[in-house]
Amino acid sequence: MALSTIVSQRKQIKRKAPRGFLKRVFKRKKPQLRLEKSGDLLVRFHPFSGWEWVTGEVHLNCLLFVHRLAEESRTNACASKCRVINKEHVLAAAKVILKKSRG
Amino acid sequence: MADHNPDSDSTPRTLLRRVLDTADPRTPRRPRSARAGSCALGTLTWLWNLRGTGLERLRARRALLETASSRRLSGQTRTIARGRSHGARSIGRSAHIQASGHLEEQTPRTLLKNILLTAPESSILMPESVVKPVPALQAVQPSRRESSCGSLELQLPELEPPTTLAPGLLAPGRRKQRLRLSMFQQGVDQGLSLSQEPQRNADASSLTRSLNLTFATPLQPQSVQRPGLARRPPARRAVDVGAFLRDLRDTSLAPPNIVLEDTQPFSQPMVGSPDVYHSLPCTPHTGAEDAEQAASHKTQSSGPGLQNNSPGKPAQFLAGEAEEVDAFALGFLSTSSGVSGEDEVEPLHDGVEEVEKKMEEEGVSVSEMEATGAQGPSRVEEAEGHTEVTEAEGSKGTAEADGPGASSGDEDASGRAASPESASSTPESLQARRHHQFLEPAPAPGAAVLSSEPAEPLLVRHPPRPRTTGPRPRQDPHKAGLSHYVKLFSFYAKMPMERKALEMVEKCLDKYFQHLCDDLEVFAAHAGRKTVKPEDLELLMRRQGLVTDQVSLHVLVERHLPLEYRQLLIPCAYSGNSVFPAQ
Repeated sequence: MALSTIVSQRKQIKRKAPRGFLKRVFKRKKPQLRLEKSGDLLVRFHPFSGWEWVTGEVHLNCLLFVHRLAEESRTNACASKCRVINKEHVLAAAKVILKKSRG
Repeated sequence: MADHNPDSDSTPRTLLRRVLDTADPRTPRRPRSARAGSCALGTLTWLWNLRGTGLERLRARRALLETASSRRLSGQTRTIARGRSHGARSIGRSAHIQASGHLEEQTPRTLLKNILLTAPESSILMPESVVKPVPALQAVQPSRRESSCGSLELQLPELEPPTTLAPGLLAPGRRKQRLRLSMFQQGVDQGLSLSQEPQRNADASSLTRSLNLTFATPLQPQSVQRPGLARRPPARRAVDVGAFLRDLRDTSLAPPNIVLEDTQPFSQPMVGSPDVYHSLPCTPHTGAEDAEQAASHKTQSSGPGLQNNSPGKPAQFLAGEAEEVDAFALGFLSTSSGVSGEDEVEPLHDGVEEVEKKMEEEGVSVSEMEATGAQGPSRVEEAEGHTEVTEAEGSKGTAEADGPGASSGDEDASGRAASPESASSTPESLQARRHHQFLEPAPAPGAAVLSSEPAEPLLVRHPPRPRTTGPRPRQDPHKAGLSHYVKLFSFYAKMPMERKALEMVEKCLDKYFQHLCDDLEVFAAHAGRKTVKPEDLELLMRRQGLVTDQVSLHVLVERHLPLEYRQLLIPCAYSGNSVFPAQ
């Protein structure tokens, strides 16, 4: 799995989707539900056979949520002319974004 | 030659000649082959002289030819056939030598030589395996061996061991020739009588010796003949690694200043870990002071708590190096310095491994509060170094202004806050880290005022830190997973953050996951399913406004996910009229 895109030696972010974590969370919250598993184990085209699409999409969803949250928090912090993101900024941003993400 | 053995229409000799007539003009490929060929020839004749009834020889010859032809013709027809014929011819020739002794225009020797010159090298394993069948079938084996010796790729016939010889023959042919050469030298010493070519004598003697010696000889000549084949531990130079570590630290020294202002929660700790692991064993002495510095710098963002996860571990290792590894490493280094070249690699290697194990054990046992004495001081060192830096920065901050000073202090605090989370995220990946307990105390001291920092490590130094192993199984993996996203949050924000803000983000993520699961459940139920499918996800994203008519899911996938995931999520047409992932 892609562990990280090395932007630079110091700014190393793990781009890997925490599949285990996501599955665990889902199982814990909704034990009666199942996440679809990719049945196509076509190995020859990809090294990541068995990867679950749903988990990948869930991870994408989380990424986008976090991204939006961060943007909103940043906007709030800049609006209040703080150089540091405070708890209040995050709180306000969360309210907005969670409302938006409610679907 | 027109001689034909009465018992077969196509004798080896005729076959050989036929083959050679068709494919005789071949330039010799390797000089060794010539020697081997001649050696083989000599061996053959000698062996034939030693043993073998005429009938056995004939049988062997025929069997050899048949098997060789059946197996080899497909592969390397010409050479093999030639070799076969050579071998057969040599056998026939030896027989003839004994029988009539008249030479032909194309003697087996020359034929064999030509074959050997152009033939691929056979396996050196042959001697070993050849030895086994020899006791079993004396009569046949020698002929086989002779032929095999003579022609490298000659597949010994129906006998099992000889057949197994074939693949062995093919692969390391060089070795066999080398073996023959060494045997040749021994044979020369022994002074065999066959004087046509000294090599042949040597070969013959060597063959007999190999016959008798069974398994002893093959290995020796291998290693002797081919020192390169001998297993050599990777040469590691402690100095290089030390230089590397120093460079690493130098590079990491620069970033810390940047890190303070920059919200990169995943900074040196992640980077340093693999390097440190590798360089750990070899850079004890050099790393002593640098380790502390590096550890201090590295642990800046990773919090004072240190980590038992990879960021902490390298720091711990580094710091620990200063303490314990010094003794080990110096000893190792001294030993290694005493030893030369490759030899030093082994003790260093072993010592390194031991050191690593010990470090790991210590790192692991920290949670058990056993070896915290070592860890504590190391941690303390880190914390001290950390506090030194932070205090310096804090003083700088205060010197500048209250706001910026506070912000820098906040940066440090937030950095430290971020670092424990980043540290905690690594446990998730590392899985084996049992130092989560450190995280709780770590953020706590981290959140404390800088002035309290020095007191903390001092207190920590002596008593083993009582870490609560509290709700680890439930909370920590959850927190670890969340921290992954929290780190992403701080990365996306690109601004310094407070520790409380990050905790807030965690709570938001919790709520978000709850909403997500509920929504997915509703969507799946709406579709009459009990399994969540990608369509549900797409619907969710559409409702969330992420996916619009302008922006499709695939676009989002391409934007935010790494390539490997893109390949998995976005159907793409491949060759053979196949689409992956299948729709």
